[in-house]
Amino acid sequence: MNVITNFRTFFWLILAAFMFTWIGFVVFPWLELGHLPPVEDEESGTITPWDAPGAAHAGERVYAADGCAYCHTQQVRAETSGADIIRGWGTATDPDDPKKEITRRTYPRDYIWQGQVFLGNSREGADLSNVAERFPDAAKLYSYLYDPYVLNPHSSMPEYRFLFVMQKISGEPSQDALVLPPADAPPAGYEIVPTARAKSLVAYLLSLKKNYHLKPDEAGVPYVPPSPNS
Amino acid sequence: MATLFPTTVAPRGFTSTDPELAAVDASVRWPVMVCFLSAVHWMVVGTFLLVYASSLTHPQDAFPILGWFVDLSNNFSMFTYGRVWPAAIDTLVYGWAGTAGLGLAVWILARTSRTPVCSPATLMTAVVFWNLGVAIGLTAIFLGDSTGVELLEYPAYAAWALWVSYVLFGLWAVATYLGRRPGHDHIAQAWVLVGLFAFPWLYGAGSILLSWRPLPGSGVMQEVINAWYVHGVYTLWLAPLGLGLLYYLIPKVSGISIRFGTKTKVAFWTWVIFAPWTAVHDLVGGPFPAETVTVGLVLSGLIFIPVALIGMNLVSTAWVAEEKQGHHGGVVFPFLVLAALLFVVAGLSEEILSIRSANELLRFTMFRECNTLLWVYGFFSFVVFGAIYYIVPRLLDFGWRSALLVKAHYYLSIYGILLVIAMLGFSGVMQGNLLESTDEHVTILTATNLSISYHIAATMCISLIAIGNGVFALHLGWMLIDWLRLRVRGNRLAAEILLEPYEGEAPEKASEEVAA
Repeated sequence: MNVITNFRTFFWLILAAFMFTWIGFVVFPWLELGHLPPVEDEESGTITPWDAPGAAHAGERVYAADGCAYCHTQQVRAETSGADIIRGWGTATDPDDPKKEITRRTYPRDYIWQGQVFLGNSREGADLSNVAERFPDAAKLYSYLYDPYVLNPHSSMPEYRFLFVMQKISGEPSQDALVLPPADAPPAGYEIVPTARAKSLVAYLLSLKKNYHLKPDEAGVPYVPPSPNS
Repeated sequence: MATLFPTTVAPRGFTSTDPELAAVDASVRWPVMVCFLSAVHWMVVGTFLLVYASSLTHPQDAFPILGWFVDLSNNFSMFTYGRVWPAAIDTLVYGWAGTAGLGLAVWILARTSRTPVCSPATLMTAVVFWNLGVAIGLTAIFLGDSTGVELLEYPAYAAWALWVSYVLFGLWAVATYLGRRPGHDHIAQAWVLVGLFAFPWLYGAGSILLSWRPLPGSGVMQEVINAWYVHGVYTLWLAPLGLGLLYYLIPKVSGISIRFGTKTKVAFWTWVIFAPWTAVHDLVGGPFPAETVTVGLVLSGLIFIPVALIGMNLVSTAWVAEEKQGHHGGVVFPFLVLAALLFVVAGLSEEILSIRSANELLRFTMFRECNTLLWVYGFFSFVVFGAIYYIVPRLLDFGWRSALLVKAHYYLSIYGILLVIAMLGFSGVMQGNLLESTDEHVTILTATNLSISYHIAATMCISLIAIGNGVFALHLGWMLIDWLRLRVRGNRLAAEILLEPYEGEAPEKASEEVAA
């Protein structure tokens, strides 16, 4: 049984088959999601979501080049599909009221300011959608990157010592110098400080939090009933 | 039943007694040999990197020697997991599978069309630039220039070389097909042509939209396009090239026409239409339009039709061959049968992922790694092994050197890949059960603690494959050295060793019947 009866027909049929997936899978979602603007609240004038600082955008390159996305996701699925909310990955503190928590899935509109989006396909490590909530200050993230096993003895995360340099203390110790346990501590008179790459990576990680509300009709996807917890 | 890997002596050498086919083989000899040799070279590099990457997944429980890898990766950015893993997968996909795929494509098209290629030098130039692209891309990943987009990690300056050389090579191969002798049509041609068309389309669109120039504000669309690309590579590029070879060689080697031959057309079109929708497996539950996911899951679920039909075609042909003629012997056939079986297994794993609840369970686990390795390492590698065992003796008119080495390669590869798949698949389920547990006390650490032992096992199994691949590469090198000795010094030392029953020209006819 011969598939190709006429090469020209065959070529156009193949192209049509390719286009079927392309239009259905890429073009239609693009029309829906490709140009989402942030939303402005008419009463308060606040715009959500808002852009991260420039250092965070520089950190995207480090995140990409060193392949963080091969083990970490940045997406929180709804309660209806998966246990991401139960794992606590969708929880952030409400900036208006520190006692309250905002727990929700992530929506397409959450990602509009990111130059490169890293949703990820593997959870060897934890989800990072709200990593800034779990590591509120840079010092903790630096020491985690330098030696994960101090904070987390059973971690399988690699050490990122190459993001730091050891330098001689001249005059005052550096403000960014890592506070390390004795096993990792540098010799006396020396300190370990983050490089520029480490600083931008940490700035990027600290920008990752979804501590604002998006109304269902603003989320960028068809209406999903709000969960009872949020 | 004939024994596996019998040692026989070639009565007449390997050159086809059919002058047409001999001319075709002579014309593609050097382009195809360059493809295969560089592919095997990348296979060795990629497999080594894969062992390296795998040993970094359990940094606290490294083996004695692999412990050095962990130390290196902690202190040098070049060797961190996030660079070694994409370097390994890209080397295997573009360097090994891609380069070998080029060789397969042009050989199959020239053979089935019975037309010598018009300018082998052009093909060789294209292959050289393709290899250059892979080498530059690999270096760029190590030096921190990776784009961080899955399977599109090569930066734009390497991507151009790949795209242009592939298009050049593909055009030459298609031109060979267009100049075919009348009446020489074969189902393999359609599969190979799809593979040749798909890559420029996939890689061009993927590179322009994702790695060449980032699209500001496109947000999650980047991940949609990436998913489309990654699954397109497996289902529209590698799978068709591999299936083309299986549809050509299985009937040829066994001497039996494809069983259920009337179903090949349906299998072909349903595969081309539904298989790329497996891309939706990477979107389930994420921040994407729900209707795309729902429609996609239905369409990707429909690949059970082509998978079943292709399985009926290829596996049952092999089955009948085995039963009727005891044609299980030879070097080539065992690899081809395994490749056909692994295609069905890979299809089944895609089928599992198109069930929404199963997908939610396995979505972020090692199961996805298992799926990747099934396509690239399981299915396509076995196709290429079979192809190289078959094609290289015919191009060089020279036999393989040792039945023992083929046997070692075969058993190491099959146990290696089956163990890896079983390990990663099973651990994916276990890991998923923890990650999706409704118990609030379960954390990511619980899941990591469980998966680390499976990662250690996976490293051991991948090392097994690596040894097998090393044996294969050494065997190919030994064969080449002996061939050179024969050519240069006229040394006829064991030139006649042939490791498969000589097929003569009869099966050639059988496979042409399939096309009719």
